Amino acid sequence: MPNIIVLIGRVLDPSGIVFNRRAGRLFVNREEYLLQPADRCALEAALRIKEAGRPKESPSAEVVALPRTLLPDDDVLRQAVATGADRAIYLAGQVANADDALMARVLAAVVERLGGADLVLTGATTLDTGQGQLGPRLAEALGWPQIVDVWHVEAADGRVRAVRKGKDGFVAVEADLPAVVTVLPGVLKPRYPDGARLINVYRGVKEMANALEQWDVADLVEAQALKPLVERRGQEFPAERERGARVSGTPAQMAQTVAEALRQRVRR
Amino acid sequence: MDFTFSEEQEMFRSMFRDFSAKEVAPKAEEIDHQEKPPLDILRKAASQGFLGATLPEDYVGAALDYVSYALLIETLAHDCMSVAVTLATHVSLVAMSILETGTEAQKEEWLPPLAAGEMIGAFALTEPDAGSDAAALQARATLDGDEVVLEGVKTWVANGGIAGLFLVFAQGPQGVEAFLVPQDTPGLTVGYREPTLGLRSVPFNTIYLEGCRVPVANRLGEPGKGWVIAQRAQDRMAVALAAAGLGVARAAVEVAAQFATERVQFGVPIAQKQAIQSYVAEAHVEVEALRYLVYHAAWLVDQGGEFSFDASVVKNFGARVARSVTNRMLQVLGGYGYMEDYPMARKYRDARALGIIGGPTELYHVRVAQRIFSEWNVEITP
Amino acid sequence: MDFTFSPEHVALRRMIREFAETEVAPIAAEIDREHKVPHDVLHKLGQIGLLGVCFPQEYGGMGAGEAGYCILMEELGRVCTSTATNVGAHIGIGAMAIHLDGSEEQKRKYLVPLARGEKMAAFGLTESNAGSDAANIRTRAVREGDSWILDGGKVYITNGGYAHVITVMAVTDPALGARGGVTAFIVETDWPGFKVAREEDKMGIRGTSTAELVFEELRVPHENVLGKVGEGFVAFMRSLDMGRLTLGAAGLGGAQAALEWSVRWAKTRKQFGTELANKQSVQWMIANLATEIEALRSLVYRVAWMVDAHQPFTQLAAMCKMYGSEVGSRAIDVALQIHGGLGYTRDFPIERAFRDARIAEIFEGTNEIQRIVIASNIFRDYGVRIRP
Repeated sequence: MPNIIVLIGRVLDPSGIVFNRRAGRLFVNREEYLLQPADRCALEAALRIKEAGRPKESPSAEVVALPRTLLPDDDVLRQAVATGADRAIYLAGQVANADDALMARVLAAVVERLGGADLVLTGATTLDTGQGQLGPRLAEALGWPQIVDVWHVEAADGRVRAVRKGKDGFVAVEADLPAVVTVLPGVLKPRYPDGARLINVYRGVKEMANALEQWDVADLVEAQALKPLVERRGQEFPAERERGARVSGTPAQMAQTVAEALRQRVRR
Repeated sequence: MDFTFSEEQEMFRSMFRDFSAKEVAPKAEEIDHQEKPPLDILRKAASQGFLGATLPEDYVGAALDYVSYALLIETLAHDCMSVAVTLATHVSLVAMSILETGTEAQKEEWLPPLAAGEMIGAFALTEPDAGSDAAALQARATLDGDEVVLEGVKTWVANGGIAGLFLVFAQGPQGVEAFLVPQDTPGLTVGYREPTLGLRSVPFNTIYLEGCRVPVANRLGEPGKGWVIAQRAQDRMAVALAAAGLGVARAAVEVAAQFATERVQFGVPIAQKQAIQSYVAEAHVEVEALRYLVYHAAWLVDQGGEFSFDASVVKNFGARVARSVTNRMLQVLGGYGYMEDYPMARKYRDARALGIIGGPTELYHVRVAQRIFSEWNVEITP
Repeated sequence: MDFTFSPEHVALRRMIREFAETEVAPIAAEIDREHKVPHDVLHKLGQIGLLGVCFPQEYGGMGAGEAGYCILMEELGRVCTSTATNVGAHIGIGAMAIHLDGSEEQKRKYLVPLARGEKMAAFGLTESNAGSDAANIRTRAVREGDSWILDGGKVYITNGGYAHVITVMAVTDPALGARGGVTAFIVETDWPGFKVAREEDKMGIRGTSTAELVFEELRVPHENVLGKVGEGFVAFMRSLDMGRLTLGAAGLGGAQAALEWSVRWAKTRKQFGTELANKQSVQWMIANLATEIEALRSLVYRVAWMVDAHQPFTQLAAMCKMYGSEVGSRAIDVALQIHGGLGYTRDFPIERAFRDARIAEIFEGTNEIQRIVIASNIFRDYGVRIRP
């Protein structure tokens, strides 16, 4: 049974996308993917917990990476293993419009098949859709406590201790393990993969030869569990943002203009 | 056609070389590395009459013809391009604009102190959004009684940090106008000096004009006719910059040639290697060609007629030769060419400026093309 | 023919690019301005294994081959030539000499910590009378019991001011000269008799150490002879060949950055009522530059493949260095011209990149030497031996 499961996803690199307002659609000039920034922070948190000691009484701490959605290839998982996850499981399946509700069911089944876990970590929000549902839905499906939007997390002696960032400040929260915790992006600096490990993961050799497994979604859940909750009916983009104003003049004049504009904003 | 300098011009050249070898060459490295303006050198140059080089004696000038002046600029640039550019800004851009377009009163007021070096002239035309494009000038000149109020920002003001007098270009109601603004005029602030790749001791500053009031009498030339002044100034400067390019290129060839005869590798001086011979020979050819173009253009200035087209040609070629020769001659010096305790690195950095200051190379291509195509009645818009 | 990079190289490039943009790019201006070596960055590179990118994993390296090394140099060259130069001297000539010619004990003792970035390396060949004419070195090594005593000095040694391990070429038999009279020694810089005499004040790559070294009765144990006594010349030629290819990669990275800067600026900057991108003179510059970059890219990675496939590559590596350095210079010259006055000021990275690029045509064998190497190889294929 793994100690820590991390859910990792990917997002299109925003610098390769252009939005054409007249055509009302996104054009992908360069199809490249980044790991979800918040998920990378979750993985970093997992690795730090592993390095600090075991979260529960078990012979050896293990971090397992799972995909947050159904992906066309296992690159995301390879990156997770290269960065330090002990192993990863690629989920294969042709499922249309797999949403967070569907994935929560599938992932709960994976956790059960793995024999449980001490802790599930994932990102609190996705870069593209701004969704934070997956962690809470999975916690419900597993019947575990959940702590979302954490700034800091530690796990030891059967307990998880986290600091949440709320609207009014920081709150310390604790729970018994097993639990689901979602991690905010931008707080922990994700580590770089170890070079030799990265080479070996991608070549599938040496100690990395068995690091990736593949499971079929169809083996995990019934067909009706694979019906998405969300139906996509179309897309609409937010109104054009009020553009900034170009300020010119002497430094004193520019400072004056900017200060005035800021005062106006604060009043509003 | 007589391709020789006159006896007097030869004498001047000799005098300029002596001055430069004594006063400029020994300081060139220091002023570059410390990025400080060549004030001492300018003072000494003033006492030789160089700051009023082409001004008539009535205005305390040295009354040199433009050919002799080009010799001066070439000679100074041979040892230090920064000094050459500083001096050329003062003379070609500022003093000669006043000489050519000023009223008698203006000439009497401003030329003698400029010629004596009591005040240094700075040229304020370029703006953050307006390089070569007159229509894009944003600085404003508004008439208020017998004063003009100037508002705006000027960048790349050569000599800005040490100037006593600024020649400022701004949009008036009838078009671009030129104004003489003393440094201590309230509302004129000299700002930041951009650190640069080369020409490190030329004080290029940004200046700010905020409610800067000057008497109407400080306007140079007719209302709305300032752009012509700017163009003529830049044409004169183009010839001077080409002379500077000639100087730095000639110096680079000399340094490299001497090095090639002293540096022994593979048992012989590298001067014996054909590749090195090609580099030096080709550089010499370019320098020679530039030499004749420069002095022809300077001669045209002295003839008093049109020289704008030739100024464009010579600036273009001068920039090209200076850049390519300093680059190639740096290669001859090998590792030594890259070290800042040898002069070549500085010459390379300085020469690179010629492709940009006074207008980018591409602009000069357009001007030359405009003239050529106009012979077939086709008008080119840049 | 398959022109794609393998998955591990794609993943490697992605990782290095992120590192370069996050850790290296932000310090590039500062290390140039303050003339200091980016030790923090080098340490971080070492921690993730990049300072041993091409060395076998069994010696502490990453096992990513020459292709991986070229990728590293390209991505570092794209953001900071100084950093790339520190790394290149450490991996490509310093540690590489030990990788190519070291005994098993020498590799265990020296290559492993170098590959792990625990120690830094340099390559000590050049002397004031021996630049292009490397065979003209005078540093002497005299046998004394089970040691050699070195006397002499080196100049213009990249990383020389801080390296822990330097592969030094010395004359062991003056009568034989280059053919049989030069030996390579692994020198530890904290041994008595080793001194760093001064640091050079360079026009560019100011974030590197270019040092003059002095050896005064420097005692080197015989077990630190690299390869065989008298065969040092062969050893160092092989190291230089390997180093040359990756200099082409660094040039590629720098040229790529220059192109990106140029396109972005041309897209934004308006003169005479329109963006520079609409001017044909600018379009021509961009098109010509982009074409040369593609040609260079193909050349560099093809040669990297040949090295990894154990095919002969001397002539092609020289072409990579020569072409890469010249494309790099042309590229940044174009970028400077497009940026106009702003490119000439130190507020933009252009003028630093311009100063940095210029050295590539000179060090690691001037481009004149590269041309001699290329011509020699070509004529030799036709049975003619030419003299430089």
